[in-house]
Amino acid sequence: MKRYVDVYKQCMYSAIQTAAAYRMNFIVSSLITLIGNILFPLVTVLIYRAGTSFPGWSLFEVLLIQSIFTMSSGLSSLVFGGVLWTTMSHVREGSFEVILLKPLNPLFYIVATTFSTESAGLFLGGAALFIFSVMQVGAISALSWLQFTGMFLAGTAVLAGLALMMAAMSFKWVGNSRISELADSVLHVGKYPLPIFPKAVQAVATMIIPVGMVGFLPASALLGRVQASDFAAVLPCFVFMGAGIWIYRHMIRLYEGVGG
Amino acid sequence: MSVIDVKHLTKTYTTYKRGAGMGQTFRSFFRREEISVQAVNDISFAIEQGEICGMLGPNGAGKSTAIKMLCGALYPTSGEIEVLGYSPARDRKHYVRTIGAVFGQKSQLIWDIPPIDSFKMNKAIYGISTPDFNNRLEELTALLDIAGVMEKPTRVLSLGERMKCEFVMAMLHQPEILFLDEPTIGLDVIAKVKIREFIRQMNKKQNMTCILTTHDLEDVEELAHRVIIINHGEKVFDDSLQRLKLFLGEKKRVSFTFAESVQGTVFDNACTRVVERPSDFQITLEVDTAQISISEFIENISRKHSFSDISVKELPIQQVVMNIYETKKQPEPSL
Ligand SMILES: Nc1ncnc2c1ncn2[C@@H]1O[C@H](COP(=O)(O)OP(=O)(O)O)[C@@H](O)[C@H]1O
Ligand SMILES: [Mg+2]
Repeated sequence: MKRYVDVYKQCMYSAIQTAAAYRMNFIVSSLITLIGNILFPLVTVLIYRAGTSFPGWSLFEVLLIQSIFTMSSGLSSLVFGGVLWTTMSHVREGSFEVILLKPLNPLFYIVATTFSTESAGLFLGGAALFIFSVMQVGAISALSWLQFTGMFLAGTAVLAGLALMMAAMSFKWVGNSRISELADSVLHVGKYPLPIFPKAVQAVATMIIPVGMVGFLPASALLGRVQASDFAAVLPCFVFMGAGIWIYRHMIRLYEGVGG
Repeated sequence: MSVIDVKHLTKTYTTYKRGAGMGQTFRSFFRREEISVQAVNDISFAIEQGEICGMLGPNGAGKSTAIKMLCGALYPTSGEIEVLGYSPARDRKHYVRTIGAVFGQKSQLIWDIPPIDSFKMNKAIYGISTPDFNNRLEELTALLDIAGVMEKPTRVLSLGERMKCEFVMAMLHQPEILFLDEPTIGLDVIAKVKIREFIRQMNKKQNMTCILTTHDLEDVEELAHRVIIINHGEKVFDDSLQRLKLFLGEKKRVSFTFAESVQGTVFDNACTRVVERPSDFQITLEVDTAQISISEFIENISRKHSFSDISVKELPIQQVVMNIYETKKQPEPSL
């Protein structure tokens, strides 16, 4: 276990060093990621300015959902964001063996070596928007904060699971740069109040691909709007992440040639 | 006692046929035709502790596939491998601690940071203690002569410098067996010599077993005690280096570019054979160095013709394989 912690520390150190070596690139790509992901809350502001709204949700409540969504994405891509591209390039160049030569769990090693410093900007941007929104929505109880924390982690687990599933696909669809768009389109649902969607979509978004947990449910927890039944959705989140891990490891085994 | 024991090793890859042309490509969207490639076909051998074994073969022979299976990165389709009592692929996580590997075309260094930080990564991965790490690093950098190189970012290093660092990566945890896949590919002569010397020293000092694949006969001549030749996934030769030399004879290929046309000049004689005449000015000869030394041969030629360019090379691996097939049909030469 200590060895795994040491390896992760060394990997973070390397990632930071790389970011420092390409300072300009790091700053520019952090900004691009941030801008690309912070624009949609602005759209929300415009919608409310124009006098329309999501029924039952004030502007700051919607912004709260979207800031949590952004923080969650930032955190997930900080840790898991590099896995897709790294897997893809290893499979394409036939260099996945280099990972298998290390006396470590290969999934851990890939996750550790792809620590994506440029997503720190996204996380911080989300956090800034979050603090701003929280200050506008009134007092929040300690219990709500606790519920929020649990749900936020569950939501991040969903994103991690999704990242791993996309990466697993790249074993088969080598060089398909559209894979990540697939994930993005599924995720859109998490950016808005869930009740605006049809019942069927709501069910899928809480139980099957629990993207509702990425922004909507943690925000509801902070606003004191969750019911006991909403907590049932926490379990599918970790199941979803487990599924991502399982699928990825299964693809590694296929790569090693166990399947035949 | 043998440290590596391979029995009937076979690897079949399954891929999908990609059609040529629009029509076939379109069809392959819907129905993909499976094709299987027999990359390694029923190979058996055993290797003793402290041996350096060269695995020689043309491109696509199955060398890399065999090495990957020996390293535990690929499961065999059938057959068995036992290395140091492990089954490499099945016991991979424990097994890989005991081996080192350098893949000539696949870097294990982290591209954007200096090699020293990649070394520290391996220190963490293998759980090497700080004093052990420092001692070992000092020893390896002295042997490979790379003290000034380790602090520069990997991406600015020359191929030779990088390759030496790859060896440090592979050796820090003191492996018992070293697997090398085309370790000298693309290197200049000086770097090749240095790396070969390093392998020899590691082998002598620590009795380290080493398997290296190559398509360069020179690597094998310089390093190996034992030679396995594979072609189309099959083992076609497995014996000592001396025995291989007996099979091949002592031949070198010398190419000249002459200052004047040598069209019509006869070069064939008892110890020389014309291999190729790409133009009136160029010729490649195969020289039997058992009968005439290379320097004597060149002196003879230069007395008659002036030339602007010359190169001396080992027999190409395709020729070696062909010679082996041919001599196999005849009764074996005796030592
Ligand atoms: N991952 C793979 N999938 C399908 N075929 C492969 C794969 N890797 C290698 N091959 C095929 O297997 C054969 C042996 O390849 P390889 O072991 O790389 O040979 P060598 O290292 O001797 O050049 C070649 O025909 C190659 O095209
Ligand atoms: Mg090869």
